[in-house]
Amino acid sequence: MNRFLCGLASALLIVGVVGCGSGETERVGEGDGNTAPAKVIGYSKMNSNNPFFEVIAENIKAAAIAHNYEVRTVSADADVTKQMDQIRDFVVSKVDAIVLNPADSEAIGAAIEEANAAGIPVFTCDLECTAEGVKIAGHIATDNYQGGRLAGEAMIEALGEGGGEIAILTHDPAASCVKRVAGFDDVINAYNEGRASGKITVVKRLPCDGQRDPGFKATQDIITAHPNLAGLFAINDPGALGALAALEKAGKSEQVKIIGFDGQPDGKQAIKEGKIYADPIQFPDRMGKEIVEMITQYFAGEAFEPVRLIPAELYRQADGQADPSLQ
Amino acid sequence: MSRLAPARYKQLALDYGMIFVLLALGAGFSMATIRVGYPEHGSAARALAQQVVADFGAGVPVLLATRDSAEGTEFASVFRQRLESEGGVVVGETQGTPADARRSLEALVDAQTLPRVIAGPQAAGSDVFLSASLAKIHPDLAEVPFVHPPGETWPVFLTQGNLLNVATQIVVIALIAIGMTMVIITAGIDLSVGSLIALSACSAAALIHWAAGEGTPADVGLGVVVGACGAAILLCGCIGLFSGVMLTVFQIPAFIVTLAIMLIARGLAYKATGGQALGSLPDSFSWLGHQDVGGFPLSVLLMVLFYAGAYVLMNYSRLGRYIYAVGGNLEAARLSGVPVNRVLVAVYTICGLLAGLGGIVMASELKSGDPKTGQLYELYVIAAVVVGGTSLAGGQGRILGTLIGAFIIGVVRNGMNLTNVKPFNQYIVFGGIILLAVLLEKLKERLVKA
Repeated sequence: MNRFLCGLASALLIVGVVGCGSGETERVGEGDGNTAPAKVIGYSKMNSNNPFFEVIAENIKAAAIAHNYEVRTVSADADVTKQMDQIRDFVVSKVDAIVLNPADSEAIGAAIEEANAAGIPVFTCDLECTAEGVKIAGHIATDNYQGGRLAGEAMIEALGEGGGEIAILTHDPAASCVKRVAGFDDVINAYNEGRASGKITVVKRLPCDGQRDPGFKATQDIITAHPNLAGLFAINDPGALGALAALEKAGKSEQVKIIGFDGQPDGKQAIKEGKIYADPIQFPDRMGKEIVEMITQYFAGEAFEPVRLIPAELYRQADGQADPSLQ
Repeated sequence: MSRLAPARYKQLALDYGMIFVLLALGAGFSMATIRVGYPEHGSAARALAQQVVADFGAGVPVLLATRDSAEGTEFASVFRQRLESEGGVVVGETQGTPADARRSLEALVDAQTLPRVIAGPQAAGSDVFLSASLAKIHPDLAEVPFVHPPGETWPVFLTQGNLLNVATQIVVIALIAIGMTMVIITAGIDLSVGSLIALSACSAAALIHWAAGEGTPADVGLGVVVGACGAAILLCGCIGLFSGVMLTVFQIPAFIVTLAIMLIARGLAYKATGGQALGSLPDSFSWLGHQDVGGFPLSVLLMVLFYAGAYVLMNYSRLGRYIYAVGGNLEAARLSGVPVNRVLVAVYTICGLLAGLGGIVMASELKSGDPKTGQLYELYVIAAVVVGGTSLAGGQGRILGTLIGAFIIGVVRNGMNLTNVKPFNQYIVFGGIILLAVLLEKLKERLVKA
């Protein structure tokens, strides 16, 4: 009886594993002898909880169908060792190209070198790899510095002539977010130069990890220390929405103007409702489509610009009201 | 004979129960990953060269296309040798990207030595070799075929590369699981190991940067690298020792002590590197994680060595017997003269040292010290130990069972990636498999009692 149970449990294990595995592949078609068979792209995305990367994943898949590519998506959950294992698994299963959002700009270099050694091209998207000696076949990202400048301009516009105290929610482990803050700072400093009154002063910079909950807590601490806060710039929408929740709880959402970044659906909705002043928005859909375009050019042996920056655009309340994708 | 049989089954189930689970998983993943793979090894290159001459005649001009990899280089040299001995001619050779292949073709057009066949491993095939694309380079190229060795049906899971891949992926977990097995056999727990991985990796990297001073860290000598790694491992050992002292002298539960250490060590790791991953380390630093010895990765050999040592320690040494005695019944052990406190301090120190070593292996693989690594590793390590048959109540457990447990975790993670299990489902399957494995363990216990 017990042996029967053991056998049953093992059988369940196998069936479970095999069952979960099958039917998940988006195989499109197999080529005949002369034309090349369907190429396989492995995509290791940053994480599963930020809709931004889901949009990139969906657009990679949609664009891949047109080119007869098969896409295998895995999630690194922001863990660089997990991403390294995933890249190694892509290499042994001999995918034709790898796309990734590096979980760490520096530490992912060793894994990319392994893919390089196997002759598999690596494309990065949104975040770049800064490690030395790695070969990146192509990179697409938002022009984060220019986006940061837009955020600074939006802050000046929101505060008007009065200026005031502002705070920044940062996320320094991501090089992209550092660039956004650099662009923002440059615009604010240039605005303050030679100005006697109505200056905009950054009174506090706190990390928000690019997520809601830390953004919420950091903002609570900021408004406790600086009750006269007039504005807040968060380096992405989850951070901005966390800040918004904290300001609403403290009854200061009217007083403090928020500038976010990204243009995720939740963020756009908040802009439409006037809760966030404006966002420099990114285009993850274009990132997904254009990275596949780049891969196609790579396979065709065509020349292409290996680094492509997509400019951010400012999205205000009026844009939200005209946006058919919002309620 | 028939009377002996049930006893044998019992013993078999006791000793090797988890091996059956591992084999079942391996078989399942093998079945699920049966795919057509295209060989890139020397014998495939030889066969292709013969076939090219047989199909297109002697003296046929061939463009040889491979990818820029070790396999590609081997393929190219074997193919060229064989083709030329059969009377074919390699008019051009391209190794690299599709753009390189296009340039080679254009060079051949300029030199007016058009190939009649393009040959190479399937992986080197690209859209450049499609008829329409070739026609654009030169009209006479339109009919030139790309030939590659035929596909072979074989489970990807069972390829040599992948099995070594699984072994490499579990080294860090398996090394630390040795220490964790000892800790859990004494009925304790160590939650700090994940953070110690990060602390060890970051302090080694930071020490190398510090030793380099004004110079470039990538140029420091081997002595500095070994010294920095040794110091990082010792630091983790000292932290383990500290945990052991706290929980024996002050009687604070291990769960709380190591929870506190987990937070402290993570914070120290962030401080050591200033929050960012520290890279640009010397090449010698990455030997442990990237060097092969006789076809086996160095880190895997290290793991095997440590398991052999731990097996001897647990089964044939006095400390091993004491560890089981302390976990079985602490009071009884104390009364029969076992130095209980010293044994406890020793196991937490060993666990800390091994976590430090695991951190060095991980940093070596990543060629950098990243303070964010090792998160949740304490849970993976504990899962490996428990799946391997060690009882959380203490007193029972086998060191080789833990190795099997680590392999089960590695096989599941690798297998799910190979079979394209979607990210959300991976968590569910992973948790389910841990539950099922432990369930089997419980059934085994009943079998023994029956």
